Amino acid sequence: MAQRAVSTKDALKHVNKRIGQARGSLRRQISLPVLFGAAGLVAFGCLIIWTASLTISAASFSRHLIGIGLGTILALFCWKTDFRGLSNITTVLMVIDIIVIFLPYVPGLSYSAKGMTGWIQIPLIHLTFQPVELVKIITVFIVAALGAQYNGRIDSVRNYVKLCGMLAIPFCCVLIAGDLGSGLVVFFSGAIIIMMSGPRREWVLSTIAILIGLVALLLAADSLVDSIVGRDVLLKAYQMNRLLVFLDPTADTTGAGYNLMQSLIAVGSGGFFGKGIGNATQSASGFLPEAHTDFIFALTSEEFGFVGDLLLLSLFALLIFSTIRVAYKSDSLFLRLVAVGIVGIWTFQVLENVGMCIGLMPITGIPLPFISFGSSSMLMQLANVGIVQSIWRHRTQAR
Amino acid sequence: MDAKIFVIITGAILVIAILVSLVMMRRNPNRFTYDTAHGTRPRASEGEGNTSQVAFKGRFTMLAAGVGAVFAAIFAKLWSMQMVSSDYYEGLSNQNQTRTVTTPAPRGRILDRNGTPLVTNRPCLTVAAYRSLAEDTVTVRHLANVLGMPYIAVKRNIQNYNESAQSLHTVASDVRRSTVAYIQEHASFFNNVEVVERTERYYPYGSLAGHLLGYTGTITSEQLEKQNDDENKSAGTIAYKSGDIVGQTGVELQYERLLQGIRGEQTVQVNAAGAVTGRSGAVPAEPGSDVKLTIDLSIQQACENGLAHAIEIAKQNGHNTNRGACVCLDCTNGEILGMASAPELDPSVFIGGVSNDVWNQLNSEDNGLPMINRAISGQYMSASTIKPLSALAALKHGIFTETQTTVCSGWWTGFGESDGKWCWLHSGHGTMNLRNGIVHSCDPVFYDIGKGFFYDKDNPEGLQEMYRSWGLGSSTGVDLGGEAAGRVPDAEWKSEYFSSWSESDRAWNGGDMTNIAIGQGDILVTPLQMACVYAGIANGGKEYVPHVFLSAVSRDGEGDTVTYKPKERLKGDFAKESHLNLVRDGLKGVIYEESSDQASHFTSLSTTVAGKSGTGQKTNEDDYSWFIVYAPYDDPKYVVASLVEEGGFGATASLYAVRDVLGVIYGEPDTAGTTAGDGAR
Repeated sequence: MAQRAVSTKDALKHVNKRIGQARGSLRRQISLPVLFGAAGLVAFGCLIIWTASLTISAASFSRHLIGIGLGTILALFCWKTDFRGLSNITTVLMVIDIIVIFLPYVPGLSYSAKGMTGWIQIPLIHLTFQPVELVKIITVFIVAALGAQYNGRIDSVRNYVKLCGMLAIPFCCVLIAGDLGSGLVVFFSGAIIIMMSGPRREWVLSTIAILIGLVALLLAADSLVDSIVGRDVLLKAYQMNRLLVFLDPTADTTGAGYNLMQSLIAVGSGGFFGKGIGNATQSASGFLPEAHTDFIFALTSEEFGFVGDLLLLSLFALLIFSTIRVAYKSDSLFLRLVAVGIVGIWTFQVLENVGMCIGLMPITGIPLPFISFGSSSMLMQLANVGIVQSIWRHRTQAR
Repeated sequence: MDAKIFVIITGAILVIAILVSLVMMRRNPNRFTYDTAHGTRPRASEGEGNTSQVAFKGRFTMLAAGVGAVFAAIFAKLWSMQMVSSDYYEGLSNQNQTRTVTTPAPRGRILDRNGTPLVTNRPCLTVAAYRSLAEDTVTVRHLANVLGMPYIAVKRNIQNYNESAQSLHTVASDVRRSTVAYIQEHASFFNNVEVVERTERYYPYGSLAGHLLGYTGTITSEQLEKQNDDENKSAGTIAYKSGDIVGQTGVELQYERLLQGIRGEQTVQVNAAGAVTGRSGAVPAEPGSDVKLTIDLSIQQACENGLAHAIEIAKQNGHNTNRGACVCLDCTNGEILGMASAPELDPSVFIGGVSNDVWNQLNSEDNGLPMINRAISGQYMSASTIKPLSALAALKHGIFTETQTTVCSGWWTGFGESDGKWCWLHSGHGTMNLRNGIVHSCDPVFYDIGKGFFYDKDNPEGLQEMYRSWGLGSSTGVDLGGEAAGRVPDAEWKSEYFSSWSESDRAWNGGDMTNIAIGQGDILVTPLQMACVYAGIANGGKEYVPHVFLSAVSRDGEGDTVTYKPKERLKGDFAKESHLNLVRDGLKGVIYEESSDQASHFTSLSTTVAGKSGTGQKTNEDDYSWFIVYAPYDDPKYVVASLVEEGGFGATASLYAVRDVLGVIYGEPDTAGTTAGDGAR
């Protein structure tokens, strides 16, 4: 009896140990903060899209769920994949990147929506996809691979300029393809990778100064160039207007500033607790345009108020900061830089999307990761999560 | 509020917990790991080892700080928007989704004294457009074709600058249902065009009493400005908006405040497309009060028909006229029972705005200036109808006594042979006392009176004072706009009026005096003033303020909200009751004794009538025909005064008008035909 009791106790111990090991190996395999952050965002996003689907017919909850399902499969696939090999095929990646950027211009594939040629329609299955979402992560891989060559310290200006040039290629291609918002995401994530690759501080500062100068020149020369060429060449007229209303939201509240004003009203009128599900008059009555995609944050603010926003931002903070930790933990400089790039993608998209809804940033149409309606974005953002998990999984160099 | 604080504290704790846990998680791992459990080798970081790792630590700190800064900025902005200024945005949000829609209030009706509606409302479909449409030539042309209107007319209506730029401009009223249906079916072609249901004035009796009732029109910018200036003074009155329909003349203008309703307001919820999604807070439109006039429909019709009859007869007699006036008063309280002016004015032409062509016609001299209400705005010499007042003045100041006589030879030489004057009857009336002077309208009797006053050092203006005391030369105060005051000439007036003349030419002379004694020359009166004078004579000197307003009836209830109380205007001057009786007797004599033909018109009436004809003489024009009566003689109630411009003698034109009115009042039509005989004046 005693023997049996002991053996039972031992057995229990053994089981517990196994469980503990399993837990340990799970932690080794998966970064739980990243997982929880992403899962929390996806769940919150589901709630928001569901409420949006009540009043906005274009926001189909089932399609959103399909996007999440496909994205999860893709994330699992990414999680299992070791991406370290990608650092050796940058040229191939660059070619793929540029092809993907211009896919929407390939006849037979191109698909226009909302007056923008940003989609492709995959033949036979009629699925539409926004290739620029894929471009973001491919560019991150390219720049990270190139940046990792210098082992954390870029010694010559030549190498730094080369690196910047390699970022400029996809960035300019995206701009040429006509998507300023995504171009900025590409630029921002790439720039962070370059900065983390160890250039000298004065190079970075002078690059920033040159860029500011260029942007100023562009803004100043835009109307002049337009008048010389005779059509809208550099900045589009609507982009210029968006910049102007960003500077003064009350300037043209029925025209160019309408979206911004309605968004500000939606966010501000949400107050502390929000108006509650279904009571969001700004988005439900159609005053707020694109309430389920680009202006989803305004919808969230209106329905759930300051509390909801705080929760959302906390989840983003959890995701992003724990991804920084994953990056920090990685032994592979390449993967570390990839994680940093993903941090850049998320941070910039949050800053830009939330910022435009509250008047901190000029308006450009980029989605809020994990929340906005749109399967392309959801798919690729979940893939990003999978990549981060893969980085965590492969954080030690030797196995 | 407590819940708010609770959530803030919880949130703060949560944020701190997340940050602390992140810091803890970061602190935990070491640079070197000896994983004894699983037997991995101790290892160094990639590349150059520790120095690189240290450098990376700094970079990661910077990265985390940068990301933190992004979140801090968003947090700060959200705090300011949702915690500090959320009330402001909530206000904007409410403003966004609510609109105030106004519904026009029906204007009050105008009724006659028995409650018969003279002006009512009827619904009408109106096509209206915003001014910006004028630039869209294609749509305007399309609209013009659909409405069957000239392009220019449509465009002019759209650009109507009397209305504010944002308001809807009426393009066409009373549009056919099929046209409206077409426009609504093809709404996408007609941006900025709207179909509105409005109410419009409707005149069941056409042009009846058009001058008196007046017309309505869109409020002019001057009227709007005037309202804004008055705003402080008249708080609580109707606030007009551009595009409102208001009274412009006559009763419509005079009693605008009663007739105008208060527009209804409703707050509606709208979506971004402007479609109504809900309603709340409705204030129903309050219709304007009905206004009841003193006018009696049958008497009004009699005045108009009688005047038309008189003008017709004047035309038969070879006079080219279409102008005149006819007034019927109740002398016991000043109520105007009928008031006609020719040419007639149809107020319905002003509905929906009047075109330039019509406006020019209405203001053309050739058409007889139909806009003028001649009963109150037409100024004429009174002619012989003033003789009763001259007689009263003469009796009062002893110029003439009740028994004194004058011999009329037809040629009066009171101021010497060179200044001799004809009596209208060149063969002469023979011996005339004052009473018979009135009866036969014998001019020399009154020349004598004029002469007497001219030489009366004590009362050189006794005649004018008498006229003024009966209300001539001053407006009657009738509750209608545009009343003329008339003129009683005197020495002072003459010297001012003819200031360009030499001193001697503009001096008051005997001829002026004899002229005004018989009502010729520079004296000017309105038909309404003369009707009041006769009301005074009939009424023992007492004249009431003539008025058309009887009461205001509230639309829903039975009761009268405002009722007019008769106001005494003045008491005409006379020295003794016997003087007045002499005059009255004379006026009765005019009807029954002056001429048998004249009497034949009145003997068919069972009621005794008193009255006086008059014939105004104007250089280069035909005579102006007057006739004024009151009845019954013993217990006077009705006064009827009529004037036909250039209509000939009093008894050959205006007589028919007053007789027709009396005929309707007493139900005893004139049977004498058109035999007015020699035309006694």
